[in-house]
Amino acid sequence: MDELTIAMPKGRIFEEAYELLVNAGYDLPKELDDSRKLIVEAPNEKIRFILAKPMDVPVYVEHGVADVGIAGKDVMLELDRSVHELLDLGISQCYIATAGLPNTEMNPVTPRIATKYPQIASRFYRGKGEQVEIIELNGSIELAPMIGLADRIVDIVSTGKTLKENGLVEYDKIVDITSRLIANPVSYRLKQDRIQELVEKLRKQAVR
Amino acid sequence: MTIEMFEKPLGMRDDFPFIAKKKAELRAKGTEIMQQAGYELLQTPTLEYYETIGKISAIPDNALFKLLDNQGQTLVLRPDMTSPIARVVASKLLKEKMPVRLGYYSNVFRAQKREGGRPAEFEQMGVELIGDNSLYADAEVIILASEILKELEVESSRIVIGHTQLLQSILLEFGLDDRQIEIVREALVSKNSVKFEQIVDGLGIEADKIGSFKALNRSKTLEDWKQWIDFSNSEQADLYEEMLKLQKIVERNGLSGSVTYDLSFVSHMTYYTGLVFEFYGAGSGFPLGNGGRYDGLMKQFGLHIGATGFGLRVDRLLEAIAPDKKYAADTLILFKEETEQQAHERAQELRTKGVHVTLQYAPAVQAIDEFAGLFKEVIRLDGAVNG
Repeated sequence: MDELTIAMPKGRIFEEAYELLVNAGYDLPKELDDSRKLIVEAPNEKIRFILAKPMDVPVYVEHGVADVGIAGKDVMLELDRSVHELLDLGISQCYIATAGLPNTEMNPVTPRIATKYPQIASRFYRGKGEQVEIIELNGSIELAPMIGLADRIVDIVSTGKTLKENGLVEYDKIVDITSRLIANPVSYRLKQDRIQELVEKLRKQAVR
Repeated sequence: MTIEMFEKPLGMRDDFPFIAKKKAELRAKGTEIMQQAGYELLQTPTLEYYETIGKISAIPDNALFKLLDNQGQTLVLRPDMTSPIARVVASKLLKEKMPVRLGYYSNVFRAQKREGGRPAEFEQMGVELIGDNSLYADAEVIILASEILKELEVESSRIVIGHTQLLQSILLEFGLDDRQIEIVREALVSKNSVKFEQIVDGLGIEADKIGSFKALNRSKTLEDWKQWIDFSNSEQADLYEEMLKLQKIVERNGLSGSVTYDLSFVSHMTYYTGLVFEFYGAGSGFPLGNGGRYDGLMKQFGLHIGATGFGLRVDRLLEAIAPDKKYAADTLILFKEETEQQAHERAQELRTKGVHVTLQYAPAVQAIDEFAGLFKEVIRLDGAVNG
C-alpha cells in the first residue's frame, strides 16, 4: 500500500477536517494540532500530513507533493489551480459577501474594493458590469471602509459578528463556501484505489 | 561595463549540461523508437500565422506569444506541434502517400502568467498518424508511446483512456440537449466532481438514472462501461466493440494492468473526436503526455480524413526518470607543459574506444581536487600521483 500525503490547512478548518477523518475510521495520532511540526506521520494508516497555510494547500496538491488536500472553496475560486475537486465535505460553512458602511453609495468615479480575494472580487464586479479598483489586503479587511481606504470590502462571512462589531453591513452575498477534498490529477490515477476509498469514507461523514 | 540583468523572462529556463545531456539521450531513444515503427521525422517553423495555427491549436489566446512581422501580420511562436503538422499534411498534398506517419521532437511555447514551476518553452516529442480511421491506428500510437515510456524507465506509468464520441452518444441517451452536454463536459474537463454531481442533480433526469449517471465519474474498466451502453444503438454497440478489440491489442503488447478505462475522461482540447488518452508516471505531479483521435482538426484544414497521435512532455519526463550522476565526462587527463604530447596521444587512444575524455592544462585550474571530483576517472600527467 502506497503512502498517501495529505495537505491540511492550519487554523480554522484544521480541527473540523481532522475530526472528519477520525470519524471516517482513520487511526490517527490524537494530538497534532498543537505541535509545531509541519509534517506529521500517521504510520498505522500509511498517511503523512503536511500542515500548510490554507491558501497554499492547492499549490502543494497541484505540484503533486501532496496527493490530496483539504481546501476551502474560497481558495479554490481565488487560485484556479488544476486539481481534481473530489468531494464537498460540508465543513467550515461560510460565504463570501460584499460589505461596507451602512447607507453608503459607491464612489461613482473610482469605486474601490478592499479584499483578500482579488480574483473573486474582480469577477463579481465584472459580472455586474461595474468597473472597480481592487485593493489587495492580507487581513483585517474591515478596517478599509472604516478609515476611508475603500467603499466596499469582499470577504468571508461566517457569523457576521465581525462586521457588526465594526459597524459594517453586508450588501451582496457572492457565493457559499465549504471545504473540499481535492486531489492531484496524477495521484488520482496512480493511487486511485486509496483515494477513492478516502472519498467514499468521507462522503458518509460529510456534513449535509 | 557589467550587465546586471540576470533575470530571464517568466517561464524560460536554462538547460545546464547534465540536463542537456539527459535530454539528448531522451531524444535519441524516443526518436529511434518512432523511426523503428516507420515514422519519419519532420521539423516545422518556430513562427506560424496567428490566423491559422494560433486559432486552430486550441491553446488559450492568452497563452500564445504573439508578434508582428514587417507586413503587419500577427505571428505566434508555435504553441503545439499537432496543428503545424496537420497544416503540412493538408497543404503539401501528401494525400497519395496516405496513411502518413510523421514524428517530431520540437520545442513549443506557451506563455505563463503565474510563478515558477511551469516552463513557457518546453520540448515535446510525439507522432501523428494521418489518414487511417481504424482502431489499429489508435492502438499503434498508444503502444508506441508506452514503448517510449518503458525505454525511458518511467516508473509505474499509467494510461487513462476515454472516448469522446461514445460519451457524447451516452449523454444524448440520458436525454441531455447540446447545452446540457456542454455544461457536463466543462465540469468533467475541469475535473470538478462536486460540480459534476450538482449538475447531474439539476438536469431533471429520472431519479432512478441519477446514480448510474454519477457513476460515470468512477469507471475504471470496459466492464464498467457496459452499464451505460445501449446495445440496440448501433453506434454505441460498434464503438464499444472496437474498444474491446483495442483493449485486446494493447494488453497483448504488455499494457495489461496499466490502463484505466474512464468514460468520463475528456480533454480540454475540443478537436478530439474519438479516443482520448493521457499518460502518467511516478515522479511528476503533472501528466507526462496525452493524445487521441483528432479528425475534427483535419476537418478545419478541409480534409475529411482520420488522424491520431500523441505528444509527450520532455520537461515532465525528466522529472519522472531517475537522474544520472552529474559527471561532466568519463575521464579527465591533467597535463603539464612537458607531458602535453603524451596527454594528447592518450586522449586520442581513449576517444577511439568511445570514452569521453576531457584534456586540461593543470596549472590553469585553481581548485584541482574539486575539479577532478567531477569525473569518474582521473589520469594525472601533471607530476602529481594518480588519485
